[in-house]
Amino acid sequence: MGDYREMWKNLNMDLEKHDILCEALPESFGDIYLTQKNRPDAMNYFNYTLAEIHGARIEEIKHEKDNGKKVVGTFCVFVPDEVIYATDAISVGLCSGSQFWIEDGEKVLPRNLCPLVKAFVGAKTSRTCPYFQSCDMIVGETTCDGKKKAYEIVEEYMPVHVMELPQMKREKNFVEWQDEIKIFIKRMEELTGNKVTVENLKKGIDLSNRKRRALKRLYDLRKNIPSPISGLDALLVSQVAFMDDPERFIENTNKLCDELEKRVNDLKASGKKRIMITGTPMAIPNWKLHSIVEGLDAEVVVEETCTGTRYFENEVPDEGDTIDDLVKNMAERYMNINCACFTPNEGRMDDIVKYAEEYDIDGVIYYNLSFCHTYAIEYKKVEKALKEKNIPLLNIDTDYSEEDTGQIKTRVEAFMEMI
Amino acid sequence: MEKNYILFPNYSQGLKLESFLNDNNIKYVISPTPRKLSTCCGISIMYNKKDEDDIKAIIKNNSVEIKGLYTLE
Repeated sequence: MGDYREMWKNLNMDLEKHDILCEALPESFGDIYLTQKNRPDAMNYFNYTLAEIHGARIEEIKHEKDNGKKVVGTFCVFVPDEVIYATDAISVGLCSGSQFWIEDGEKVLPRNLCPLVKAFVGAKTSRTCPYFQSCDMIVGETTCDGKKKAYEIVEEYMPVHVMELPQMKREKNFVEWQDEIKIFIKRMEELTGNKVTVENLKKGIDLSNRKRRALKRLYDLRKNIPSPISGLDALLVSQVAFMDDPERFIENTNKLCDELEKRVNDLKASGKKRIMITGTPMAIPNWKLHSIVEGLDAEVVVEETCTGTRYFENEVPDEGDTIDDLVKNMAERYMNINCACFTPNEGRMDDIVKYAEEYDIDGVIYYNLSFCHTYAIEYKKVEKALKEKNIPLLNIDTDYSEEDTGQIKTRVEAFMEMI
Repeated sequence: MEKNYILFPNYSQGLKLESFLNDNNIKYVISPTPRKLSTCCGISIMYNKKDEDDIKAIIKNNSVEIKGLYTLE
């Protein structure tokens, strides 16, 4: 516990408004997370990061900034952290997961837009996100029209660099993405004054890969029946991954995995239904669907989302003697993320079917943040692919409000009975 | 149900106590500080009442700075 008001004031935050957010967090986290039974002891680290997410972590970032480091905010798994690390900058995720920011987002954006984008913009315009306030630059991308245009609004408040992500996966698109990474390298060099070299880029690749490996290890452990960790806890780990110091995150995620490995031998079959969630991302503190599902006789064992498998699957090879070689390796890895922004995107259906088998899934819940067109439209393709494999599927379209929680619970309950 | 919390002047004192609790195999849960106890953001430590005397001794013997021990119904 600490008094961070002076720090927040110096970050030009709206203290009064931010206090409303601070007031809500302990209760909602307590109700959703701390009421879970038999949590791993190593989750204490993630409780700590969550409790101090606007406190100690921001203080730490401030300290790094005072020592000359730059802070870069990102909002998508396509932004290559490797480049940010290579220039000795700090990469942080941005606030975007709470209903709290929607009202301010809607003051500058249309209402019929995805809540993630509205919350992200609202968090900036309301000056209630200390990550935004700590950033020297935001790195955007063109993964959806909402974000693409929202960056134009955010640019009125702070420097923004937008990476143009190709929307197809032809050979020329891979080359285009290499060019985008090179432009990003140049922009990061200008921002930080640090030159990207083969050596520091390889270090950045190594750090990013180790982070991916720790998350992959956690997800592999969830393949056990029953899973040694709840879906809620695993989701929190994934969410924290975007905000935390990467080395410390890797160390603590591996500690958690060590504990889970020991747990696996003692667990007895629970008979809980094993659920995969696929679709749009869940940023802190969006625990809505997981808490509904796990409040019933079910466990979420994998998320095919950007706050799940898409974040850590596949590593960037570090073979190569030139920056061009390494950029090519990075481009290949990132372009193989199966985001619904691509057309066609058959790789995602293959991933979902593969995970259903690997994680021994009883049913899949398609999670779509309202007005996310690409994922909403792709539902039909996923439905077809899963029908062919006789895997039950439920479609949930929702936002951050609690208004439809009861209704979703009823639908999920009926789905559980059906499977 | 009754819940017991230890509050700290800053997070580093909380982490200091955490390491002693680990060394002494005392179970605890790190929690965001309930608003009923303080309007400051950040961590507190939840503990079991049966360990209270041991925890008090650890705090005293290792000069851990705390704001106090509290119980919420």
